[in-house]
Amino acid sequence: MKRHSQAGKGDLFSVKTATVLSILVFIIAVGASAFRKDEVAVKETTLSAINRDSVESVKAFATVYKVLMSPRCMNCHPAGDVPLQGDDSHLHVMGPKRGHDGKGVYAMKCANCHQETNTPGLHTPPGNPDWHLPPADMKMVFQGKSAHELAKQLVDKKKNGNKDIKKLIEHADDGLVLAGWNPGEGRMLPPVSHAEFKKAWLTWLNKGAYAPKKTSN
Amino acid sequence: MAKITLNINNKEYPLEADPQMPLLWAIRDLAGLKGTKYGCGVAQCGACVVHLNGEAVRSCVTKVSRAVGKQVVTIEGLSATNNHPVQKAWQEIDVPQCGYCHSGQIMSAAVLLREKPDPTDQDIDDAMAGNICRCGTYLRIRKAIHLAAEMQKKTSQG
Amino acid sequence: MDNQTLSRRNFLKTSGMTGAVLSLGFYWPGNAKSAKIVNAAEAQNFGVEMNSWVHIDTSGKVTIFDHRAEMGQGSYQAVPQIVAEELEVNLNEINVVFAQGDNKKYGNQVTGGSSTVRGSYKNLLKLSATAREMLIQAAAAKWGVDKAECYAEGGNVIHKPSGKRFHYGELVDAASKLEPPKEVILKKRSDYKLIGKPLRRLDTPLKTNGSAIFGLDKEIPGMMYAAVERNPRLRGKVKSFDDTKTRQIPGVKHVFKVKMGVFNTYREGVAVVADSTWAAIQGKKALKVEWDDTGFEHLDTEEIYKRQREALQTQEGLAFKKQGEPSEIIAKAAKKIDVTYETPYQYHAAMEPLNCVAHYQDDKLEIWGPIQAPEWVQDYISKEMSIPKEKVILNMTFLGGGFGRKAFMDYPHEASVISKEIKAPVQVVWTREDDATQGPFRPGITYRCEGVVSNGAIDAFKVKMAGQNNAHWRGGKKDVPNGSASEGFLKPYMDSIKNLAIMDIPFETPIPTMWWRSVYASTNGFAYESFLDELALEAGKDPLEFRRAHLKEERLHKLIDKMEEVSGWKNRKKGEGFGTAITECFASTVGHVVKVSKAPNGGVKIDQVWVVMDCGWYVNPDTVRAQVEGSVVMGLGAATIHEVKFKDGMAVDSNFSTYQMPRITDIPPIEIHIMENDADAGGVGEPGLPAFAPALTNAIFDLTGKRIRRLPFSLATV
Repeated sequence: MKRHSQAGKGDLFSVKTATVLSILVFIIAVGASAFRKDEVAVKETTLSAINRDSVESVKAFATVYKVLMSPRCMNCHPAGDVPLQGDDSHLHVMGPKRGHDGKGVYAMKCANCHQETNTPGLHTPPGNPDWHLPPADMKMVFQGKSAHELAKQLVDKKKNGNKDIKKLIEHADDGLVLAGWNPGEGRMLPPVSHAEFKKAWLTWLNKGAYAPKKTSN
Repeated sequence: MAKITLNINNKEYPLEADPQMPLLWAIRDLAGLKGTKYGCGVAQCGACVVHLNGEAVRSCVTKVSRAVGKQVVTIEGLSATNNHPVQKAWQEIDVPQCGYCHSGQIMSAAVLLREKPDPTDQDIDDAMAGNICRCGTYLRIRKAIHLAAEMQKKTSQG
Repeated sequence: MDNQTLSRRNFLKTSGMTGAVLSLGFYWPGNAKSAKIVNAAEAQNFGVEMNSWVHIDTSGKVTIFDHRAEMGQGSYQAVPQIVAEELEVNLNEINVVFAQGDNKKYGNQVTGGSSTVRGSYKNLLKLSATAREMLIQAAAAKWGVDKAECYAEGGNVIHKPSGKRFHYGELVDAASKLEPPKEVILKKRSDYKLIGKPLRRLDTPLKTNGSAIFGLDKEIPGMMYAAVERNPRLRGKVKSFDDTKTRQIPGVKHVFKVKMGVFNTYREGVAVVADSTWAAIQGKKALKVEWDDTGFEHLDTEEIYKRQREALQTQEGLAFKKQGEPSEIIAKAAKKIDVTYETPYQYHAAMEPLNCVAHYQDDKLEIWGPIQAPEWVQDYISKEMSIPKEKVILNMTFLGGGFGRKAFMDYPHEASVISKEIKAPVQVVWTREDDATQGPFRPGITYRCEGVVSNGAIDAFKVKMAGQNNAHWRGGKKDVPNGSASEGFLKPYMDSIKNLAIMDIPFETPIPTMWWRSVYASTNGFAYESFLDELALEAGKDPLEFRRAHLKEERLHKLIDKMEEVSGWKNRKKGEGFGTAITECFASTVGHVVKVSKAPNGGVKIDQVWVVMDCGWYVNPDTVRAQVEGSVVMGLGAATIHEVKFKDGMAVDSNFSTYQMPRITDIPPIEIHIMENDADAGGVGEPGLPAFAPALTNAIFDLTGKRIRRLPFSLATV
């Protein structure tokens, strides 16, 4: 979520991006373990819409949703302007505010406590070099969203920081996303491994990024 | 152990420290500046707040290595003669009781006033909720920050 | 201004006093309540060292000793403000120095029970007036005039007819040779220039630029730093430990077992001594200790309260006070109230964690630290370590909060033992986790309250308490009721309620307990004042009117009048969320009115707190207000957040992340009024606390009909 400033427009499922997706699917089929950040091969070729599969896509999103709604992801995608904290996703004690850039305000900026790495010990600030919330103009709220709402929102360029499919795919390996799987002492991990999450994320996207039905969450 | 140099209050301190050592203990035990306080060690109370390149970091969880090459300002260096508008307002309102948390309170308030010269009550909440005061001086902290804002305005106008 | 504790010799040197000095102090014969004022020569005659409370040197500089701990409550301001008034000097021309621990010189130095001003103001006024009179007398003699023609002002003696003046400094030589007058005339309150004025605190500037020296800031040459891993079960021992990893940490110099006294028992731990606090803390974390926790129960919170509730149903307890036939009336009554109130264990949570510097040498032990009770520390260490008491030199620093916890001997004792072992000065630093989990704690107490009302008044009133008695930890007798069973409860109720019983059921656990700001009033107040509210409503009476009818004392009626006036009590509408409570604590009476409303997102919001404080004679109204503000905030935390929970004999919460403090966002508006009267001084630091919780829960009942009988409760989910 580092790039969020341009409100973009354009067809989400352009031929161009669909091509990219098909290649990625192939790579996943070869082996998720080989799929590392620096190996994400994104080429521009052409592709028909033949890979679209609403059944598979929605099925994969169930896993995605489970992860995104887990405290490790949802805590920094709160409904309000104060992040959540802990495995029970309570409001962050001391109520730090988002700020326009998502990095806090005044004496309560995220990086004042959250260091580049996790602070050792229980109930200590977890760390990441880029610790922040989504910015004020692109809040990307997870908390309280149904699977349908969240799926729609994730691919809506007006709400996702103008991310096209390529950028959404890349986001699976964003440093802060990965930090969810290195949460610091005493914190619950997301419900599936990062590899499984990423597999589901990509399946969901490349099979058409279908949103589950409104009642299906 | 590593040889490092910290710039604290515009003075160079050549120190020998474990790079993992929190900045708090380097400031207190190695540089000998005792105004910055230990309260919780886990970034919960704000007694240890210092300015690191102007930001109100919690020195108890900030590794000393993060401060190398940066400007550290502690309560001792906030002003030359105890006359930063926040310090003057604290004195005018008689904010402290035991006083232990107030180095951190003042350092936090100073960042607020720099970034928001005319803070509302909501801004004060947003800036100061990270600083605990067990003596319960919160109402006076709020009052003093408003007063400091006025004092700062007068200084900048005058 | 120098805030360091100094020996007399160093004091004279450091304060730059030269030549003659007029020094006055007190002589406390035996345990006499009032002291005789003496100068150095007289002190010698009594065979005591002059306590030198007030000094004036030839430059006119005045230095006074603060004999009590300054932990935020304002002794550093109150003592000088009293002295300056009668001495006729400007407050900002006074140096304040913390007195060393020496009860032969300074009398009782235990800072507790809100006693600094009320315990010493009469003597301080007299002492200061005596010094002033001696200076006037010296001036009159120099001028050869009648001393009645002279007066003192702003550090000068002035001859009224001629306008001639001497600066005090010019008079000290002559004045120091005079014998102190036996009687002096004290000013009337209406003539005070300083007392009663909201003057700024002398310690504030030290606390805005980091120059105030707290215990943790004390550093002496060659000092090492220590952290101690102590038995988490509060009174256990060390079976064995593995320090392999600890010794690999750079800077760690010594690791050894250490034992500290906790009243009549001991706790063991493993001390890690290093060249920095950080290395010591890292070394402590790397220890692997096997504990011996045998010989005492490992209790859970639930079990403690289950036992208390059972005891209250099955036992009668020891009578603290019993008059009339309360039990008989309650037994026969067709309608009675029989309710139980529960209060939690509390942690003091001073912002400055415990710490202490000790330097053990062959012939003496010197201690520096944030200490509320210097003489107890001296007595205890003298006994435990076989050092003559006068060789235990105790230096006071500023305290970063105390609230009762720093009136113990355990942490200076432990520091002294470590210094003796390593043969070097050491600072023992308690981590926040140590401070939060090791106790002693305020005891959690359960109360059973039974009562009957008839004709709008209380017919029978019976309160039984089951909870730990702090006195037991100091060797108190176990077959006598808790001497503080009625603390918080207004005494005049005991005159008006003819059938009354206050009973204490002895209750013990292995958890060490001790006082916490306002002591038993902090728990009793909740039970008594909630119960009175229930009785008032049962009687169909207005809660304040009901109290007034049972309190036949004019001073209390004035307090209630004031509460009604400032809070708009009489104009409130039924169910609008008003609650009230009045408690007595350390000779002051405090009434609270709290107004609550429904919060937009559920739960209850505190709209306003009004506090009326009757502390009689007081020094500085701003300090009084500050103490009440702080008491409300601490009371708010205790009522709505705080409980020390135990699991398997150990305190569960170890830091502010789970034992959360009220923050600036949680504080309601607080309006404070101080009663003006001629009564003797009462306490100020603690009495504002106990009535807050019951006033709040009574207000919540008024708003919602929900009666809260257990603390803490959550405002968000009421």
